[in-house]
Amino acid sequence: MVAMRKPDHKLIFIIVEHYENKPKAIVFELAACADKIKKVCPAEIKFIILGMETEKLSFEITRTTGLDAIAIEINELALYNSEIYKMVINNLAAEFLPSFIIIGHTPRGLDFASGLAVRMKAAFITGVEDLMEEGEKIYFKRQMFYGKINAHIAANSEPLIITVQPGIFEPYKPDKTSPGKVETRRVEYFPEFIRAKGIRRCKYQDSSISEAKVIVSAGNGIEEKKNLDLIYKLADIFPGSAVGGSRILIDRGWLEYRQQIGLTGAQVAPELYIACGISGASQHLAGMRKSGFVVAINRDPKAAIFNESDVSVIEDLNKFIPAFLEEYEKRKI
Amino acid sequence: MKILVCIKQVPESDNSFIIDDPQNWICSESFSYKMNRFDESALEEALSIKDRYKSVVIDVLSVGPENSKDIIRRALGMGADAGIHIFCDADGYVSPFLTASCIAYYIKENSYDLIFTGAMSEDYMQGQVGPLTAEMAGLPCVSFVVKQEISHDQKNIYVEREFGGGLIESFELKLPALFTIQGGVNKPRYPSLSNMLRANRAEINAINSDLIGKTDPKPVTLRMTIPEKRREGYVLSGSVQEKAAKLIRILSQKAFIT
Ligand SMILES: Cc1cc2nc3c(=O)[nH]c(=O)nc-3n(C[C@H](O)[C@H](O)[C@H](O)COP(=O)(O)OP(=O)(O)OC[C@H]3O[C@@H](n4cnc5c(N)ncnc54)[C@H](O)[C@@H]3O)c2cc1C
Ligand SMILES: Nc1ncnc2c1ncn2[C@@H]1O[C@H](COP(=O)(O)O)[C@@H](O)[C@H]1O
Repeated sequence: MVAMRKPDHKLIFIIVEHYENKPKAIVFELAACADKIKKVCPAEIKFIILGMETEKLSFEITRTTGLDAIAIEINELALYNSEIYKMVINNLAAEFLPSFIIIGHTPRGLDFASGLAVRMKAAFITGVEDLMEEGEKIYFKRQMFYGKINAHIAANSEPLIITVQPGIFEPYKPDKTSPGKVETRRVEYFPEFIRAKGIRRCKYQDSSISEAKVIVSAGNGIEEKKNLDLIYKLADIFPGSAVGGSRILIDRGWLEYRQQIGLTGAQVAPELYIACGISGASQHLAGMRKSGFVVAINRDPKAAIFNESDVSVIEDLNKFIPAFLEEYEKRKI
Repeated sequence: MKILVCIKQVPESDNSFIIDDPQNWICSESFSYKMNRFDESALEEALSIKDRYKSVVIDVLSVGPENSKDIIRRALGMGADAGIHIFCDADGYVSPFLTASCIAYYIKENSYDLIFTGAMSEDYMQGQVGPLTAEMAGLPCVSFVVKQEISHDQKNIYVEREFGGGLIESFELKLPALFTIQGGVNKPRYPSLSNMLRANRAEINAINSDLIGKTDPKPVTLRMTIPEKRREGYVLSGSVQEKAAKLIRILSQKAFIT
C-alpha cells in the first residue's frame, strides 16, 4: 500500500473559501485539520487561493498562519465558478502531486469537491469531524444515519480529498509567526457552461441572538407551529433569553432567519442552550457547540443531541415543558 | 423536456441503529424506510416545472435493493411519469462513486435536459452522489439550489444557490445540467389517490447494476462506532414531574433561574 506511508514528505493543499476579500472562518479550521494530519505524517501545508485579486488576501492568511500559499489570479473569477475551480485545482494537483486536499464542508466546498475527486481519480471523504492514526492508516471520523452512528473511514489510496465540517476544529494558531511565502500566478479560463450572475444578501442576520445569555431552541420535534408557544413560555423564565431554532423551522417560516442556529445560520455560545426536539445533525451542532451548559429535551433516547448535552431529558416535549412550567410556578409561591 | 429526479430510500430516523459484528456496517433487518427528505424537495421542484409546462416528462430513478420500488411508487403517486429501478443489492456500504456511475450510465443512455438530486441523503449524509454523477456524465452542476427558473424556450436555466450566512449566489446555465436541491425549499405534495392507483399498476423499468460498467470506487476501509459523548449527558430519571423538578433544581443551582 502506497497510501499514508509515514516517512515520506507529503504535501497538503487547503482550498481557501473567501468572500469580499476576507477568508471565511473555516479556513483556519481547515489549517488546524491539516496540522493534525501533519502530526501523523510529516507534510508541508499550502493554501490555494483562487480569485480575481487574491494577493492581499494571501498575504493576510500567510501572515496569520505562517504557512505558504499559492495565489491564483484569474480575471474571470470575479465571481465564484465551479468550472474554473475544478480545472485550476486539477492542474495544480497534477503539477504538485498533493497527498491531501482539504476543503470546507460548506455549500461552496461541496459544489466543486466531488467533480474534482472524479477528475483527479482521488479517494473522497466528506463531512470529516476528526481524524485518528491507527497503524499505517489515518481514519477520518464522520456522522452517518442522522448523527446516531459515526463512521471511521480510511482511504486506501492517494490522493485523498476531504471536506471538513465547520465549527469543529479549533482555529489554527501557529507557534511561530514569521509569515509564509506567497507564490502568485495568473491564469486565464473562460467558463463554457456556467455563467455566474452575482451574489447578494437575501436574509438579514442581526446579532441579537448571539448576545443572548440563554437560548431556547426549537426543532422539528415541536411538530406543530402552535407548540412554539411552549418554547416562548419556557424562554420567558430566563432573563436575557432568546428563542432560536433548527433550520427546518426557518424553512417552514415558523421562525425567522435571524433565529436559525447552525452552519448556515448563527453560531452562538450562550451560557445556557436548551435544545427542544432537535436531533443533533452536525449542521445544527456547528452553531451551538460552544455553548456553556446544554440541556436537551428529546423523546428518542438515541438522539445524537444527547452526546452534546450536559443534561438529557428523555421526554415528549409537549408533556415535559408544561410540567416544567408548572413546577416553576409552584416554586415561586 | 425530460427531467430525471434521483431518489433514495433511507431508514426512518427512529429506527434503532445497531452496529453489526465485524463493525463495518449496521444491522438493517428490521428497518422501516421512507423517501429521503431532500429528494422529496427535488421531486417537488420538478413537479412545479411540470405544473407550468404540461409537456414536461419526469422520470424518477433509484439505485438500491428490491424494496426501493416502494419510494419509486410513492414518487409516481406524487406525479412523476415513470420509474427506473437500478437494482443493487449490496449489503453494507455502497460507495457513492458506484451509485453515481450507475446514474451517470443511465443519463448517457437516455438523454435528459435536467437532472435533480437531493443535496444529501439523510443516512449517508455525504452530499456526493449528485455532483459525482454530473462529473461522470459530463454535465455542469450547481449544488444547494434554493430556486430555479427555466427560460421559456426551455433551453436555459437560472438558479439561485445558498452560499451561507443569508447570502445567495446566482448562475445561468445552458441545459442539460444537474442540480442538487436544498431541503426545505418547497412543500412536497402528498401522493394523490388517483395517482397512487396508477402507480401501483405501473411498470417500473428494472435494470441490474451488474450489467452496468461502473467506475471503480477508490477503496476505503470503514468502521462504525457509537458516537462518543462530548458532554456528560446526565440523564434525568423519574416521572415527568420529577424530571421537571430535577431540572429546575439543576438550573437554579447554576443560577440560570432565580
Ligand atoms: C448545507 C446544509 C446546511 C444546513 N444548515 C443548517 C443550519 O444552519 N441549522 C440547522 O439547524 N440545520 C441545518 N441543516 C439541516 C440539518 O442537516 C438537519 O436537517 C436539521 O438540523 C434537523 O433539524 P431538527 O433536528 O429540528 O429535525 P429532525 O432531524 O427531524 O429531528 C427532530 C427531533 O425531534 C425529536 N422529537 C420528535 N417529536 C418529539 C416530541 N414530541 N418531543 C421530543 N422530541 C421529539 C425526534 O426524536 C428528533 O430527534 C443544514 C443542512 C445542510 C445540508
Ligand atoms: N441509491 C441512490 N439512488 C438514487 N439517488 C441517490 C442514491 N443515493 C444518493 N442519491 C441522490 O444523491 C443525493 C445525495 O446523496 P448522498 O451523496 O448520499 O448524500 C440524494 O439526495 C439523492 O438524490
